[in-house]
Amino acid sequence: MSASAATVETLDISPVGRVEGDLDVRVEIDKGTVTNAWTHAELFRGFEVILKDKDPQAGLVVTPRACGICGASHLSCAAWALDTAWGTTVPRNAILARNLGQLVETIQSIPRHHYGLFMIDYTNQNYAASPFYAEAVKRYSPFTGTSYETGVTISGRPVEIYALLGGQWPHSSFMVPGGVMCAPTLTDVTRAWSILEHFRQNWIESLWLGCSMERYEEIQTLDQFEAWLEESQRHANSDLGMFWRMSKDIGLHHYGKGHGRFITWGYLPHEDRYNKPTIESRSSAVIMKAGIYDGATDKFGPMEHVFTREDMTHSWYDEKGQFHPFDRTTKPIAKNTVDPEGKYSWNTAVRHAESGALEAGPLARRLIAGNTGQAFQHHDGLVLDMYRKMGGASILLRHFARMHEICILYREAERILREFRLNDEWYIKPTEKDGRGWGATEAARGALCHWIEVKNGKIANYQIVSPTTWNCGPRSGDGQRGPIEEALIGTPIKNKHDPVEVGHVCRSYDSCLVCSVHAHDGQTGEELARFRTA
Amino acid sequence: MANLLWLQGGACSGNTMSFLNAEEPSACDLVTDFGINILWHPSLGLELGDNVKAILEKCISGEIPLDIFVFEGTVINAPNGTGEWNRFCGRPMKDWVKDLSAASQFVVAIGDCATYGGIPAMAPNPSESQGLQFLKRAKGGSLGAGFKAKSGLPVINIPGCPAHPDWVTQIVVAVATGRAGDLTLDEFHRPKTFFSSFTQTGCTRNMHFAYKVSTTAFGQRKGCLFYDLGCRGPMTHSPCNRILWNRHSSKTRAGMPCLGCTEPEFPFFDLNPGTVFKTQTVMGVPKDMPTGVDKVGYIKLTAAAKGMAPAWAEEDIFVV
Repeated sequence: MSASAATVETLDISPVGRVEGDLDVRVEIDKGTVTNAWTHAELFRGFEVILKDKDPQAGLVVTPRACGICGASHLSCAAWALDTAWGTTVPRNAILARNLGQLVETIQSIPRHHYGLFMIDYTNQNYAASPFYAEAVKRYSPFTGTSYETGVTISGRPVEIYALLGGQWPHSSFMVPGGVMCAPTLTDVTRAWSILEHFRQNWIESLWLGCSMERYEEIQTLDQFEAWLEESQRHANSDLGMFWRMSKDIGLHHYGKGHGRFITWGYLPHEDRYNKPTIESRSSAVIMKAGIYDGATDKFGPMEHVFTREDMTHSWYDEKGQFHPFDRTTKPIAKNTVDPEGKYSWNTAVRHAESGALEAGPLARRLIAGNTGQAFQHHDGLVLDMYRKMGGASILLRHFARMHEICILYREAERILREFRLNDEWYIKPTEKDGRGWGATEAARGALCHWIEVKNGKIANYQIVSPTTWNCGPRSGDGQRGPIEEALIGTPIKNKHDPVEVGHVCRSYDSCLVCSVHAHDGQTGEELARFRTA
Repeated sequence: MANLLWLQGGACSGNTMSFLNAEEPSACDLVTDFGINILWHPSLGLELGDNVKAILEKCISGEIPLDIFVFEGTVINAPNGTGEWNRFCGRPMKDWVKDLSAASQFVVAIGDCATYGGIPAMAPNPSESQGLQFLKRAKGGSLGAGFKAKSGLPVINIPGCPAHPDWVTQIVVAVATGRAGDLTLDEFHRPKTFFSSFTQTGCTRNMHFAYKVSTTAFGQRKGCLFYDLGCRGPMTHSPCNRILWNRHSSKTRAGMPCLGCTEPEFPFFDLNPGTVFKTQTVMGVPKDMPTGVDKVGYIKLTAAAKGMAPAWAEEDIFVV
């Protein structure tokens, strides 16, 4: 496969991540560096197949259960898809309640991913020579690390607010076409305030930042961030300071680059701008902007669902060519043999009709947050400034972007608690009818959307494209690699029997897939190592 | 000290996420205070790849004594009974499940998928999914009706979509502290201590149920969800209103109808057109009665209740 085949070894990583299913990664290594990569999803459950011919509202029950990690995001898409198909009216309280549900789910996900999945790798023997290593082991060892225990345990608190709205997290279905099921009272709002406050005091400020949120929020540029780091020992030794400094020490700003093109659907429709939801008016109604960004040309562009294509050339489906999700049939093929030259994944290759493969996730959201927009829309230029000054994407920047969102999402949650008008309506009963709908959002880990077609009072077609589909997909018919496949190129491998570096790249996408690596000798095919990366 | 291994099949990780919300004990407390040695978990374990496979093989051979095997997600048999649509460490997951179950003192199925098949097993069940010892109401499942773990107990089923973290942690603590002998299971292998009472037990809408005052549409501040919105609280076994969710609430308290997710039939009616969030009725009488109530009794009772409902029951009660 490579000109220098004599030196190339193949490393198979199986499994690689969780929720859409198990992801395996195969990499080719030449002189200690990854030169080629394939990602393949290894679990098929067939939610699109299950939903066909069911009640139009079946997606509200089924799709949150496609992913126990991003259930609020799936529910939000399922509800908005029906809203657009049925032409409902959604009261402002309901828009706020849906947004709050999503916000607290993502706020939960941030420390849970950071400590539970990401920082564990910093305790790997690979980094024993780092001056930060002893401290990393003390803080981040699974279950017993000082920060691990606090961070993982406190991550359960934000979703208590979800339970106040929907009864439980995960897997409530409280968002329905026409609004929400709940009608929160004053005590629900005051409890939610108290939970946020507890989370701020006991994690965000004390452990994560080492300063007040207000001080951190003053930071607008990379220079200001670096000045903040040096300003006080409390900043430098906070979990954020520790993450930044150790990541640089172990070189995580040098690889994991990827295609350098990004997508976000935008999310959080404004409570007064999307009460008559339509597919066409969505992008101009969301607080967090939709769009694409091309790092090479430093240019932004719009993003609408009509640009979406799924390419099944290398996927285990009997569908030839590229399709818009409305035109898909989801026909799995029985024989799912892994063939890197042919079909090798349950994931489809998602593409933008003009811009090809795009990376989804917090980094995409943060870059596009730096673009100009309408006055009511959120703007934040810090990560875009870092991207421009640090030579593009990397493991460090991708994970920083995720963590940087904590204060932004927290403030939006606070705003919602102020905006609820408790005596106004929460639900307007809609009239069911046939039609096509589209619901989109940003899950913690990136762009998510649902397409629904209702015909004769039942689901004729239901399609989901998740952030994991964008990021973990295989090559398209033209040979272009999927985003993680591309991001793995150039990854240095110090110990091919324990290639933790591949894990860093995959986990920086928070891909919701349990990953492990099978390492093969490129000549003999002998398996050298096998490990999990998420 | 007890060795615990947790694997996932056709799963969404929702039970893992729910488990991480646990308090008293928290997931970390289980390890540090109760001596639970988590051999491996797909989202939490430190070991990777070859080391994981080695752990599984040592559990099967007996070199590592396996005390508790927790399985989340369905056992996938597609295509054509081979299980190749869910491979793990290069082998169908269903084969790992069989070998590990035989080697374990206790086997715990967590969540609807692992207990009864859940959503993936809904018609047309494209992944040919089963629960560990049941498929919906039918006993058998992947391990067979006669399966018993080394302790002598069959698969302990902790259903729910997802299971409440306490239902899981309390069973694990019972095993770790030598109280497993007190566990009694019902006909669907659910621990009776959790699943004898009803979802309705402790529901804040019970007075409205008694007077047949209905929540006629979502977003209202009164009424019972059973009469119009399809709530299955009166015929579902769970402690959702005794042991609250995320410390604060439950679906029915928040205004969401119970979907019956701790019962083997979930999702009910296969979510066929017209069945979602709507009470199924014949001539105005619910098709599914509260457990143990007959149709004639129901009609008499509700007619009398409605006739004597006090005025306050028709007014908002969960007010700002």
